[in-house]
Amino acid sequence: MSAYQPEWVQADEWRALAARLHEGGWWLADLCGLDATDLGFDHRFEAVVQLLHREFKERTTIHVIATGQPPTAPSVVDLWPTARFMEREAFDLVGIRFQGHDNLTRIMMPDEWEGHPLRKDYGVGKVPVEFIPQPFMQIDGPGQSTMQGEAEVRLDHLGQVTETSGSSASDVQEVTSS
Amino acid sequence: MTTAERVVERFEAGGHGAYVESYDPRDEHMTINMGPVHPATHGVLRLLLELDGETVIRCEPKIGYLHTGIEKECEDQNWRGAVTAVTRMDYLAQLFNEQVYCMAVESLLGIEVPPRGKYIRTLMVELNRIQSHLVWFGTQALDLGAMSGVFYGFRERELILDFFEMVTGLRMNNGYFLPGGAWEDLPDGYERPLSKILEIMPGRIDEYEALISENPIFLERTIGVGAISKEDCLRLGATGPIARAAGLDWDIRRDMPYEAYPEVTFDVPTAEAGDVYARYQVRMVEMRESVKIVQQLFEAMPPGDHKNMDPKLMPPSRAELNRSMEAVIHHFKLMTQGYSVPAGEVYAAVESPRGELGCYLVSDGGTSPYRCHVRDPSFVNLQSLPVMVQDGMVADLIASIASLDPVLGGVDR
Repeated sequence: MSAYQPEWVQADEWRALAARLHEGGWWLADLCGLDATDLGFDHRFEAVVQLLHREFKERTTIHVIATGQPPTAPSVVDLWPTARFMEREAFDLVGIRFQGHDNLTRIMMPDEWEGHPLRKDYGVGKVPVEFIPQPFMQIDGPGQSTMQGEAEVRLDHLGQVTETSGSSASDVQEVTSS
Repeated sequence: MTTAERVVERFEAGGHGAYVESYDPRDEHMTINMGPVHPATHGVLRLLLELDGETVIRCEPKIGYLHTGIEKECEDQNWRGAVTAVTRMDYLAQLFNEQVYCMAVESLLGIEVPPRGKYIRTLMVELNRIQSHLVWFGTQALDLGAMSGVFYGFRERELILDFFEMVTGLRMNNGYFLPGGAWEDLPDGYERPLSKILEIMPGRIDEYEALISENPIFLERTIGVGAISKEDCLRLGATGPIARAAGLDWDIRRDMPYEAYPEVTFDVPTAEAGDVYARYQVRMVEMRESVKIVQQLFEAMPPGDHKNMDPKLMPPSRAELNRSMEAVIHHFKLMTQGYSVPAGEVYAAVESPRGELGCYLVSDGGTSPYRCHVRDPSFVNLQSLPVMVQDGMVADLIASIASLDPVLGGVDR
């Protein structure tokens, strides 16, 4: 491995640089989100891009600084379509919005999930693993899903209701399968 | 109507509708779910298929069913303990995950692995490559109806797993490497089982080839099926045997060598067709080449330390613990808190059985990784599946998934 030289670019410069690099034969190997809270920068969110040049046998790293609320960076899916999944992952886990991505939805976490787990302010081990209602459960009332924050229903491994809060237990009925 | 009610209604209507997402009466296109629980999806891969009769119009992989948050887990471990987490990502190429993570940590620490450590690691990962390809061989044959393929593949895989058990104590998820080398030296008497594996493997690969390489049904089901061009591979980021089968002559082991690869000679097989059969041929030759590499490493195994003996990184030996109180304190400190790694970041990459496996590691100078991102080849390669199966039959989709060889533990991490 040659000397490792990362570079930082602003989000608005990234498109022009990416187009130049793409023209020069660089291939996008990896793209991931980074929450740089404790690393001593002025900014908090970055998209970290790993590039590979197969002829020069060289790698390079570009940090794209995503600013704004929510953090935003331009998408490079049109240049390197391989970034489609990677940008979705960075959006899902770190919460960076990629402008120009045609389907920026959650990829790892369930669609209804709140928060971005790889952010540094997202606690470890605090959110119980919960699942959306199973077909054999019919849940009436306002609590349709058992999302974090307003957890109404918890099921044990046999599908039995173990804990209810926010709504009374009578809202939950077992539907016998016919 | 809520989602739950809709699902209940589908179940009550005989269960057949449970897999159908939508139906368009104008062009008679039906959108159905294949998976997440389906024997041919090799795990919990869910494919949303838009079908016109049996022809696939559109295929969209939906992933995340096996997401276990290993990257987040790593941030909670110390530098050595995170090996235990990363080895569980791609569970068929477990030692590759450990290797790439350890290479990244070593590069941050600026330490060298002694030659014997490098040789042991390279030898073990090449055996791991054979093992992983044997699982692929078995499932590829099984998915195409050649039931017995899986028996043959798993027979030899068992020998390799037994060898892993002998060396590391575990068959899978070994946790055998650590930043600076390998936990233990190869055990006494490892030569006999290893030379036995090396002796029988070429003959056994001939046996597999005799079984299906020229089987007319196998040829019919694979030639021209699931083809992808070299340009599409580059565009969609496919690496490993998929890209090599499409004519992309690139192998990190040869082109950007690491560990003990500069000291061995091997060929990198390529093919032009890019279809399922080309990928089959490439992987078969790769297994033979891996046997050759292991043979060379075995013969040239250098003496010396199997890990970097820097006392700041490695816990003291058992004998020393019996003698010295300082050693006990030091051991306790290393085991509970671990060592610090200088602030910085690095990206390391190795050639796993499925392609480029990369590890992007950030340290803030503390005792645990600040960010550990793994570029898993299965995850990226999955994006080329829609291109492969476009306008093909559903049955050919099964062949394409098998030849893609995705490991969902690696896809979802």
